[in-house]
Amino acid sequence: MSPASRNSPQLGFTLIELITALGIFLLVCAAAFTLLASSQQRYQTESQVLNSFQEARLALDQIVRDVNDAGYPPPTYAGTDPTKFASTPFAWSPNYTVPTTCTIDGSCITPGDFDIIIETNPTPQDPASQVQWIRYQLQGTTLMRGAALKQPGNDPAIDTAAFLAPLVQNVVNNSSATQIAQFQAAYPGMFPTGNPVPIFSYTCDTGNVPLACPAAGTNNSPANIRDVVVTLIVAAPLPDATTGQPRIVQLVGRGRRINPN
Amino acid sequence: MQVEIKARRINRKRRTDEGIALLISIFVLLLISVVAIALVVSSGTESALAGNYRSSTGVYYAALSGLEEARGRLLAKNPDSFTTTAPGFLPSPGTTLAIGSVAYVLNPGPTEVAANLLTTYPDTEYDNEFGGGSLAGATVTTTNSVWNRSPLNGLNIPGPLYKWARINAVSEKSLNIDVDADGNPDSLTPLYYDGAHFSNNPSVGPQVLEITSLAALPNGSQKLVQYLAAPVPITLPPFLGALTLSGSPANGVAFHAPASNSFYAVKGNDQDCNGTLTGLNYLAVGVFTNADMNAVINGIPPAVRASYTGFNSAPDVANIAPAFPASLEAPSQLDALAQTIAQYADVTIPSGPITYPLPTVTGSALTPLGMSSTNLLTVVVNGNLDISNWSNDGYGLLLVIGKFTYDPDTTWNGIILVIGQGQVDGSHAQFKQINGAMLVAKTRDSLGNLLPGSNLGGASVQFSDSMQGYGVRHSDCWIQKSQPSSNFKILSFHEISQ
Repeated sequence: MSPASRNSPQLGFTLIELITALGIFLLVCAAAFTLLASSQQRYQTESQVLNSFQEARLALDQIVRDVNDAGYPPPTYAGTDPTKFASTPFAWSPNYTVPTTCTIDGSCITPGDFDIIIETNPTPQDPASQVQWIRYQLQGTTLMRGAALKQPGNDPAIDTAAFLAPLVQNVVNNSSATQIAQFQAAYPGMFPTGNPVPIFSYTCDTGNVPLACPAAGTNNSPANIRDVVVTLIVAAPLPDATTGQPRIVQLVGRGRRINPN
Repeated sequence: MQVEIKARRINRKRRTDEGIALLISIFVLLLISVVAIALVVSSGTESALAGNYRSSTGVYYAALSGLEEARGRLLAKNPDSFTTTAPGFLPSPGTTLAIGSVAYVLNPGPTEVAANLLTTYPDTEYDNEFGGGSLAGATVTTTNSVWNRSPLNGLNIPGPLYKWARINAVSEKSLNIDVDADGNPDSLTPLYYDGAHFSNNPSVGPQVLEITSLAALPNGSQKLVQYLAAPVPITLPPFLGALTLSGSPANGVAFHAPASNSFYAVKGNDQDCNGTLTGLNYLAVGVFTNADMNAVINGIPPAVRASYTGFNSAPDVANIAPAFPASLEAPSQLDALAQTIAQYADVTIPSGPITYPLPTVTGSALTPLGMSSTNLLTVVVNGNLDISNWSNDGYGLLLVIGKFTYDPDTTWNGIILVIGQGQVDGSHAQFKQINGAMLVAKTRDSLGNLLPGSNLGGASVQFSDSMQGYGVRHSDCWIQKSQPSSNFKILSFHEISQ
């Protein structure tokens, strides 16, 4: 027998060695998988936040662009067919068919804090195109968008209602007081007054210094809207997996109507 | 031998331990790397999203800056106006920019060459509006942006990132509209703006110009935006007569017409810019009281009264007070209008504040202005103007706040307003005339104080018996051409999808 074969049983591990090694390995694995699991949760939360963020960014971009283009083409484009020109950059309801307009934050159902109807032709290059009513309206926590062809004599709010489709989910601007308190706890800077935050805030032309429409007195009218500040507060679908806190982002944009009314 | 075996055992054990440690290390490192990469990717995506929105907003405002530069430089009173900085870039003020004439303001960046700009950033939108191949067949003029001209080009400040701004005329076809509702969108007739609507008729008002601007950021974001703009006329009083003289019951008109010149006439029979009768008839002389009506008629020698023709039988002198805007029938109101015109004037002579007694300016001060039928100017004289022996012609709007001494060796095509001292005289020879309209109103006393109350002062027009000339002819065409502008109004704006 050679010395090697005689000594070979001593080359293996003892039970204690194996158990110790296994224990250490399991501990390391447990730690690694715990880290992985928490990372996965974090990644999931971040992805959801990013998705909401991206969705809101795209929507904000589109709203701002529609507001910038509001009122195109203006009534100066002669012709008798009102479906070919925008009578006013922003439509309103009720009583759109009569010359008197409603007041913002007053008798207007739209435009309002969570509802706006833009009158414009988004595709003027197309000779067959017509002016449309493009509406953004918050329904619950979903910001809807819909466009209907302008029909003189009709109420734009009724006409657009049938075409509304979801644009951004989990918009929390108009949350309940309880939810707002929750959001404030996690994000002290948001919802500064503790009340819902309007998606659409309006500035009206006054002939002098433009003022917030509700403070513009006799100039408080959808026909005088010049700027629209868009504030979107969007939450991720699920709360933060590690902290249990809601995850929300706030985006602010500003559209300026350039077309004359 | 014993020693060798021990060493081998020790070596084997050491090798096994090292292997496990390596595996565990690699495994842990891998996990940490995955987490780190995920975090980096996630924050990178977040930055990219925010960056996209930022560049979209940035390029939008860069494009708007191109529109605003072009719109601002269209105005003659702008020190960087195209008229003064780029002769030939656009037709002279008052002249129509033809369909097929395209003017580009080029704004190359520090590393770009102006000549290559339209190749690097081609204008595809023009052909979309005017039909394929239109740009290739167009007459193209270019000029540099203010950022590529002195003094701004000498500053180490990056200008806005718009690349070019195009100015061109529009037609029914290019805008896809039918302004005259004839069912046939016209592709060759430029559109005009009557203050409320577009029209094919050049006589309704100024031309509508289209301004299109392309901006491009270094990251590739591009934006194309477009204005339609037209000059906003300053609201002048209606020229109901070839000659309008202010007065009130308290302050009568003083009027004396040439007696020994049978050619002298004041005619409200409207003429076009070539002197051909249009068939429209205005008054010869308009005044504000019946007493002034008689005073003017008495000031016309009976032998030449038949030369004062227009709407009524000769001598056609009528009280226009009922038809004249009530908002312009007080000294302060007419004086405010004069100040508005002065604010937007192309030329003010002499420069500086108005001083009383008023200085006297002669015709030689007008010579360098180079007025012509294609260069009509709004000229304000903050003093007395004496154009005796000037022997040149004037084009545009002339506002004199002091006394105006006319010499019929000058043809004035346009509007003459003598608002302030409201005094006109003349005694010279030669046979030329005023085509357009003339308004003489006294709103201030000789010390420059505004007349109180609502009674206009009595205008004074004293032409000597021997003065020659053909007088005054009403011309809507010249009035229209001389109309001063306060601004280029935005008629429409939209962003063009690319």
